[in-house]
Amino acid sequence: MTLTFNSFQTSLTSRTSAFLFLTGKLLRFVLFGVFLFALFAKTSRIADYSVLQAVIFYLTYNLIDTTAQLFFREVYRFRQQVVSGDFDLVLVKPSSPLFRALAGGADPLDLFMLIPYVGSLVYAVSRLGTIEISTVGLYVLLLINGFLIATGFHILVLALAVVTTEIDHAIMIYRDITSMARLPVDIYREPLRSLITFVVPVGVMMTFPAKALFGLLSPGFTAIALMVGILFFFVSVRVWRCALTKYASASS
Amino acid sequence: MKQYLQIIKNTWAEMMMYRLNFVLWRVRWVVQRLVVYFLWWAIFAGRQEVFGYSQSMILTYVLLGNIVGTFVLGTTTMDIGGVINQGNLSNFLIRPINFFRYYLARDIGDKLLNLVFAVVEIALLVFLLRPPVFLQSNIWYILLSVVAIGVAAFLYFFFSLLLGFFGFWSADVWAPRFLSFVIMEFFAGGLFPLDILPQPLFHFARSLPFFYFIYFPIKVYLGQLSLTSVMQGLVTGLVWVGGLWYIARLVWKKGLRVYTAEGK
Repeated sequence: MTLTFNSFQTSLTSRTSAFLFLTGKLLRFVLFGVFLFALFAKTSRIADYSVLQAVIFYLTYNLIDTTAQLFFREVYRFRQQVVSGDFDLVLVKPSSPLFRALAGGADPLDLFMLIPYVGSLVYAVSRLGTIEISTVGLYVLLLINGFLIATGFHILVLALAVVTTEIDHAIMIYRDITSMARLPVDIYREPLRSLITFVVPVGVMMTFPAKALFGLLSPGFTAIALMVGILFFFVSVRVWRCALTKYASASS
Repeated sequence: MKQYLQIIKNTWAEMMMYRLNFVLWRVRWVVQRLVVYFLWWAIFAGRQEVFGYSQSMILTYVLLGNIVGTFVLGTTTMDIGGVINQGNLSNFLIRPINFFRYYLARDIGDKLLNLVFAVVEIALLVFLLRPPVFLQSNIWYILLSVVAIGVAAFLYFFFSLLLGFFGFWSADVWAPRFLSFVIMEFFAGGLFPLDILPQPLFHFARSLPFFYFIYFPIKVYLGQLSLTSVMQGLVTGLVWVGGLWYIARLVWKKGLRVYTAEGK
């Protein structure tokens, strides 16, 4: 809580910056939405999904992506800790270095952005018609699973930074690949679809929750999704532990 | 002239110093283009034409967008805000070198190196993916598109310079640049051809300088504009270049008056 509070205070020090960043994030959300509507104005359906379903896929992507950025903003600042040697000071403290590197600096701007995302999502889902409680429950469960996979990705990026000090482009490559899920991954052709669903589990992370909400995800695939999420998370933690053994301090 | 050639060489040496960083930067560019490429490839599944574009036209647009985007949007002027904030600008002010020309030379070095890699990457992607690309046969459209790309490069140079000059008045130069990236991502035409937008939005996009960064040069190459429209576009682009150059010089002079070399 203290780390989060401190981070919030730091982020809001410059109100002009905070306003510009917030405007940028909001614009990014709105402008891609404009592109989506322009697309559906001419094509009516893509991969058998309607415009409302595509909007829900897009909002689900934003929800998971923004929640990950909210909690893991510190990952973007990790490189400086490693190259300056400040990470040594984190390692000697009686707290988890992984937790500190991962979640030591939440971003309040992403918290503000969750408000329109959740609001739009609730509105869009209400337009779907009759929805069963079980499908909503499954949707929430797979959202949590998606967040677990996102956590795994961020841990892998941290591990890469410890070993190579390269993180800036690695985290942005992760963001670029996950951006493929702004639309349902079903629209992509094979073998790309399988690649980004199971090998780089972007589809499991972002597309499966919405598919469950539409009643399009079988129990088998739901179980696979949960297994992939848990396995991916545990593998990433193992990789982090292995990377720490290779850590060479710059100085401190 | 020799000193600016040396600056270009120094820029290349600087970029290749952290090779993993450079490789991942190029990987990122490729991934971004692939994301857009596969999106349009998926949209065209079972369709011959969308928004008046054939599949080959759109995929050519996307692949060319990588090359044009790499050349036009590759810049070293993003450092300027930090240079000002850290007081390192003083080093330039005492040297017999023009600041604008110095960064122009650095940009040329940056663009040339990235262009070489972009051409190789696109050639590899074309070889692997075998997309139906459109090859322009009219030499005039090719030449005019090269001119349009040159205009776009200068336009983005002065635009980025102006963003960097925020450093004279603010310690935070990243926020306005982030906002500009978001706006450019949409209005420069890197994700999609701007003429697929509803007419009012398209006309608004045409009034912005970003219109000439990626969308306009590629439309010229595709031969989808009349000669009159091309000439009008080039003239408008040049007017933007002149206007931004003038504003950049004005802001530079005003900035120097308030510059205090903080950090030194």
